[in-house]
Amino acid sequence: MNEISIQKDSNYIGQLQAELEKGEALSSWELFSMAYEAELTSMTPEFHGLRSLDFLPHVNFMDHQVSTAQQVIEQMNGRAILADEVGLGKTIEAGLVMKEYMIRGLVKKILILVPASLVNQWERELNEKFYIPAIGHRRNYAWEEYDILISSMDTAKRSPHREKILDIDYDLILIDEAHKLKNHKTKNYEFVRSLKKKYCLLLTATPVQNKLVEIFNLVSILKPGHLGNYDDFLTKFGKDRTKMKDDLFLKQLVQKVMVRNTRAETTIKNTKRNIETVWLEFSEPEKEVYQLLENSIHKSSFAKITYLREFCSSREACYLSLAKIHDINNPNEILQTINSKIEALPHHKKAEKLVELIKDIGDEKVIVFTEYRASQLYLQWYLQQHDISSVPFRGGFKRGKKDWMRQLFENHAQVLIATEAGGEGINLQFCNYMINYDLPWNPMRLEQRIGRIHRYGQENDVHIYNFAIRETIEEHIMTLLYEKIELFEKVIGHLDNILAELEITNMEKEIATIYSESESMGEAKIKLDNLSHVLKNTFHAESEEEQYGN
Amino acid sequence: MAIENLNEFLAGYFRAHHCQLLSNKNGILQVQLTEEMDRALMNRPFYWHYIKKMGREGEPKQLTFITNPDKREEQGEWIHFGSPRLQQILRNLKQNEKYTKLFQRVNTQVNTPMYPWLVVNIKISYKGKQKKEEIFSLGLQMVTGEMRAEMMDTLRTISLQQTISDYCYTISPIIRLNSGFKRMEAVIDNYIENQTHEWAQASLLAMKEDIDTLKHFYVEQTDIETETMEKEIAEIEERYRPVISYEVINGGMFYLTKL
Repeated sequence: MNEISIQKDSNYIGQLQAELEKGEALSSWELFSMAYEAELTSMTPEFHGLRSLDFLPHVNFMDHQVSTAQQVIEQMNGRAILADEVGLGKTIEAGLVMKEYMIRGLVKKILILVPASLVNQWERELNEKFYIPAIGHRRNYAWEEYDILISSMDTAKRSPHREKILDIDYDLILIDEAHKLKNHKTKNYEFVRSLKKKYCLLLTATPVQNKLVEIFNLVSILKPGHLGNYDDFLTKFGKDRTKMKDDLFLKQLVQKVMVRNTRAETTIKNTKRNIETVWLEFSEPEKEVYQLLENSIHKSSFAKITYLREFCSSREACYLSLAKIHDINNPNEILQTINSKIEALPHHKKAEKLVELIKDIGDEKVIVFTEYRASQLYLQWYLQQHDISSVPFRGGFKRGKKDWMRQLFENHAQVLIATEAGGEGINLQFCNYMINYDLPWNPMRLEQRIGRIHRYGQENDVHIYNFAIRETIEEHIMTLLYEKIELFEKVIGHLDNILAELEITNMEKEIATIYSESESMGEAKIKLDNLSHVLKNTFHAESEEEQYGN
Repeated sequence: MAIENLNEFLAGYFRAHHCQLLSNKNGILQVQLTEEMDRALMNRPFYWHYIKKMGREGEPKQLTFITNPDKREEQGEWIHFGSPRLQQILRNLKQNEKYTKLFQRVNTQVNTPMYPWLVVNIKISYKGKQKKEEIFSLGLQMVTGEMRAEMMDTLRTISLQQTISDYCYTISPIIRLNSGFKRMEAVIDNYIENQTHEWAQASLLAMKEDIDTLKHFYVEQTDIETETMEKEIAEIEERYRPVISYEVINGGMFYLTKL
């Protein structure tokens, strides 16, 4: 009892006395008793449970979202890593936690740090779904004046904002895409560590990408010492990622501060993925150019692989690359021949197929992904020629422009042509058709693309079409990589873990290396096949084992 | 006595603020705001500023509240417990209706004494790892010192008004306001002392664990490290330290015949 401090309301009775003497603004019985009812209605009668659900009858929460929010509040005491797989609604969980704390009067001042491109999305979602009056930080906004501000890390950590922010006692700090804080030597990390905070939520889909020490650094933001100190940790676990699964104790410790829901376990409204590979053949003249590229450029090289990939995408993409290396003083005859042949080509087979497919799909919204900007521009023009309205989308757009494009797509255009899904892209659940005009070489990026539409909030089955051209490098990737690891059929949520396990940080580079270091296409195919085998085996091994963090 | 029927609650609120109810059926309530209510709810100070500057009357808005979830597609604001409009109204109530002085309404031809009661509604918060609240409604007869709990429930059974009825007169209180309030506080103090407060023990334990864990993190005792550690200890204490607080919701003097 002595350890509980008691705060009394010492002002009230004096104020009542004064008001009674003035006798002016005294309440009628109706309003007086309504104020009492108001308190009875909004009070929190129990320590446990989520009051917020009663306040948000317009949102259909999923079981795992509710239980996660409750776990974060009741067991983790408001400091947690939310590490659900992409598309399961980490934002929703975070929103619920915030709402609950606000209703209970435990949180007032909140700082939300997200990638610049997501500020508007967060603002919209918190306001519309949760009635949380969060505002995106705009130039000249005073940090101390607004209770709930959303900002990018880059803005927040810069002077003069930095100093102002560090002066404020925040009740809750939320950081989206928190895996960027994996390195404790960075400015961002140091900034986050020095924020004054009571509760703290870190959101990431990929809590560990490479090294075990990354998880150490994330946990140390929330609960320093939970995994010991830095030196002890390194001595004990090394920098070796694979030791995580050997160490049950470490796993359990991590589970105390991290919630990770996977698609496999959640009862996500099971909208199906319909996947279809659309096989295409090059026309004769296209074939000729492809072979020319393949045979005449000396041996294998990164550059050559790039040209081949580009040519499978559009004439424009390849032409521009070739034009770049064209040296006026030292004209290369082969290149000139190739370029003039490219110029003479008719429209690309894939582009024609694209128009055909979109017309078949009818009035539905479609997202088209391509790897190349030149192809993006070309497709925009080509679709326009066929009276199909489209808007472009690139990772490099400013956040306002991204939002604007998203809105245009939702309300006006039929097609969105994007070059990049971006792990931190936009949510496009209102669309359920996706065409992968060309495939990325990194399966993670493909997952991210699909995750844009096949995620929490998607009401319909999702249709995904993958274009690939026979007898080209695309066929290898399709049959030897994607079909082999059954990426499309299985929703591989462990992919991030698998790549980390194998210490593959850059899949694109891995594959490019295979091609460039192989004497022949045959050799490359064998190596690619081997890589897929390894991925597949690791996947099987991984899924048999209980996943940490659940 | 928490709000059960939102439609009735809203109708009552606007009636009490002298707004005309234009229609009210099937869970759809249409209200013509007064200027005062428009200023309180519509958040358009500039409109009122300029309209008054131009010497005009101004047009208060009309609002439509839908409390029937089946009708939420219709024109109007869907009101539920979490809707911003309801929260705004509850906030206004809590802010503005803190003090009162009321008399029991009696129909009488003979001189009738009215006894003074101090009524205080008070909210107790228990905050540790988690938080919960409790509400008390206390009444103290200011002559005899008799104290009653659940006073609001008693008051709801009688008719109350802001002026004293004919032939009635008030008895002067013997207990002063301040000491009356002290007596109420003492009752609550006693109530709190008699609880076991497991929640507080659990919070203190969690706090100690977290602080011990934290100390394990810092090995070098440099100034910077110590400073960071102290900042973090303060954060942990802020998060767990058990606090019980009293907050008066509202209160006032009530003049009643014998209860």
